[in-house]
Amino acid sequence: MHFVYFREMMRSFRQHRSVAVTAILSLTAALILSGLFLLLSWNAHVAIEQIGDRREMVVYLNDDVTASDRDVLIGRIHDLYGSVTYVTKDQAWKDFSAQIGDPSLLEAVGDNPLPASLHIKLKPELLTPDGMEATAKQISQFPEVEDVRYGAEWVRRLDQVARSLLVVTISVLAIAGLAVIMVVYNTLRLTVLTRRQQVEIMSRLGATGRFITTPFVMEAMTEALIASLLALGVLFAAQQTLAARAVSDIAFLPPVGVAGFLGGVLLLTLFASVLALSRVFRSVGS
Amino acid sequence: MITFDAVSKRYGERLALDSVSWHMDEGECVVVVGPSGAGKTSLLRLITHETQPTLGTVTVGTFRGGRLKRRHRALLRRTLGIVYEDFRLLSDRTVFDNVALAVHIVGRFADSEVIPRVMRALEEVGLPLKQGALTTELSYGERQRVAIARAIVNRPAVILADEPTGALERRSSEEVLNLLRGIHEEGAALLVTTTRMEVAETLGGRILRLEDGRLLTADGEPTRLPAAYVAPAPAAPSASPGSGHGGV
Repeated sequence: MHFVYFREMMRSFRQHRSVAVTAILSLTAALILSGLFLLLSWNAHVAIEQIGDRREMVVYLNDDVTASDRDVLIGRIHDLYGSVTYVTKDQAWKDFSAQIGDPSLLEAVGDNPLPASLHIKLKPELLTPDGMEATAKQISQFPEVEDVRYGAEWVRRLDQVARSLLVVTISVLAIAGLAVIMVVYNTLRLTVLTRRQQVEIMSRLGATGRFITTPFVMEAMTEALIASLLALGVLFAAQQTLAARAVSDIAFLPPVGVAGFLGGVLLLTLFASVLALSRVFRSVGS
Repeated sequence: MITFDAVSKRYGERLALDSVSWHMDEGECVVVVGPSGAGKTSLLRLITHETQPTLGTVTVGTFRGGRLKRRHRALLRRTLGIVYEDFRLLSDRTVFDNVALAVHIVGRFADSEVIPRVMRALEEVGLPLKQGALTTELSYGERQRVAIARAIVNRPAVILADEPTGALERRSSEEVLNLLRGIHEEGAALLVTTTRMEVAETLGGRILRLEDGRLLTADGEPTRLPAAYVAPAPAAPSASPGSGHGGV
């Protein structure tokens, strides 16, 4: 029985080749555009994640903190907020000297005025503007702490960029999804209407809705799959070209992203097919 | 097997069938003769549930009255073999594929049974050597024989033929009628509608006349339902027409 459906689908492909090719090309164009944006969005997301990973909080300690108090503080911060790196006064001075480079300037400063500090790599759930602000407030309450610094404004802007990117990505995907639905819907309607006589005859011979519609759905799904693979191929070629010639860091979608792209397109196609066929059969089938 | 109980069918202002009551038994051959526009096609369309009666009840086997759900309509049609005046064959397929389509639609048979069933039907209508031809390459008489092969391939209990010789010249008409008579003699009930009285005479079944939407016996009396098939009056106001379904 499944072979019958397959044969019906192939027959439809052969007889309405131009409709099928037009549908595949239209879908491919829509999917290339949305995939291109998905690719850019993915790379921007990766870049933001990497920058976000470097978001660090620096806690300056009072000069009179004893070693045991400092170790207790490090332990508590490690438990509550994230991994801690201790930078001594001497290490801080060495780093500062290395940055300045000019010994005459350093001599003018005199004794080492820099405090010891704790560099905290925050837990991922605290890497939000509000989370970082609350963390900084809490840490500053410890008596051993002189000051807490982090790029509050920078973190807030980074967050805004990430949020805007997400909104734009969702909007573009929604528009692309709508385009997929429209193309599949109209192609199927056209295909069914050009095969109206066949549908009517099958209906009069007692064919079930499933018998009549399955080849059409299979046809739409195959067209969508071909279009998706073509679009992914074009995107992969574009990514490889860009990576080789201009932006070496640009990455292709991860396997999960590719699977999601294909799955999403097929799901939308199935939805559009069911919608188109249920409407068109109301007028054709009796 | 097929019962019309006070069935009327109206298309806008036009009354196609006027309170027709009539019954057809299993294995019977009935020929309905009437001029164009008398309501013959409406009669068949009511049996196949392509349309609904304006008044009255049509019963086909255990499918009784009311508007059937799509899947029950499909089930009903799979129990019938239908031959149309304009053949209703798929022009993009071979003779074999047209007949095989009916087998696939019924879905009762394994793939290995399809070829022998189709070939047997094609042999019965005398077209085994045309199995690979497109239907557009056949004469009208041959096309009608393909349509008959498609109608009988699943061995239905009833064959409906709407003006089966309407598009054929005399010799092809005789061949088609002989085929239909042979199928009936093997046990299938046969309901044929035609404008030509000689078709009825050739087939030799019960002859009914359809005139201005009224179904009459050969003597010109309005047809009536046998007492056994007359539905009892509803016992309570809530009683509704049956909506049962099942095989013919």
